Amino acid sequence: MIRTTDDVIIKTVSRIFTPFIQIFALYVIMHGHYSPGGGFQGGVILGAGFILLVITQGLDETRRRFSQKLDTIFCSIGLLVYSGIGMLCLIIGGNYLDYSKLSKILPVLAAKARSLGILGVEIGVGIGVMAVMYSIFSDIVTGGE
Amino acid sequence: MFIKILSISFILTGFFFFTTATIGLLRFPDFFCRLHATGKGDTLAVLLSLIGLAIYNGFSLTSLKIVSIAVFYFVAQPTGTHAISRAALRCGVKPWAKGEERR
Amino acid sequence: MQQFFLIVGTGLCFLVLLCLYRGVFGPTVLNRLAGISAIGTKTLVILLLMGFIYGRVDMFVDISMVYSILNFIGTLAVAKYLETKGEV
Repeated sequence: MIRTTDDVIIKTVSRIFTPFIQIFALYVIMHGHYSPGGGFQGGVILGAGFILLVITQGLDETRRRFSQKLDTIFCSIGLLVYSGIGMLCLIIGGNYLDYSKLSKILPVLAAKARSLGILGVEIGVGIGVMAVMYSIFSDIVTGGE
Repeated sequence: MFIKILSISFILTGFFFFTTATIGLLRFPDFFCRLHATGKGDTLAVLLSLIGLAIYNGFSLTSLKIVSIAVFYFVAQPTGTHAISRAALRCGVKPWAKGEERR
Repeated sequence: MQQFFLIVGTGLCFLVLLCLYRGVFGPTVLNRLAGISAIGTKTLVILLLMGFIYGRVDMFVDISMVYSILNFIGTLAVAKYLETKGEV
């Protein structure tokens, strides 16, 4: 069990920096097509932000904000978004993850439909990776409860 | 031309502080003295170097990002040094007095 | 200007080798932690200088920001572990 740090400086600085780390992780996810980044890297940075909270505030405080039930729901939502877009393209009439067929549902051109499809897949991957990293870390810390 | 001279002088000053901080990390006789050298010298050197690089790039979005890295680093590195020295105090590392041998 | 960045980058790489001595031969574990944190600091500046040499500054700025965040979190984690477990 990780107890909280009884030091004012480390607790305050980590509480100030966590929103900026999360906003930067969202920036990395969104700009995956232009600069280095993408879904998996942004998810890792989001997970690292939560691990910073666990180290400095203690496991009980962080579990009050991000419970285990919500964590399991996020794992499933990430996988659902990623596979769901692939299945949607399959149902409409193309191959698996063939984004150009999405232009039959949304009123956009084929090239724009590909861009939107990739963006949706990246968001799903990012959410899933964040939830899995937090879950693995709390399992290692509590010794498998 | 003036911008180039200004940025070169900033980067050279940062490199000088990096050198003195590393020499201090190797040559000081005690653990807490080494933490002084790397905690203060490295932070100032990074700040000066990044400001020099931002001046060289002109006034654009990239320079704003470089300045934001410098501000984040200016707050984060002393916090890391504080955490290390707290851990050393809890483990029982004693300070050094003049006349003892190197540790 | 490229020659100047190249010379400063090579000098910083030599300083990283000097810091590695403290990271390998430090008498205790805490000395090694301080050495590795100093190496992470110099790597940050070397990455930005490489970005200027290659001419693609936008790419390397994002990479160096991520590296500074991860260096900070790693130092805090190892310091907390050594505080609760005692000196090895």
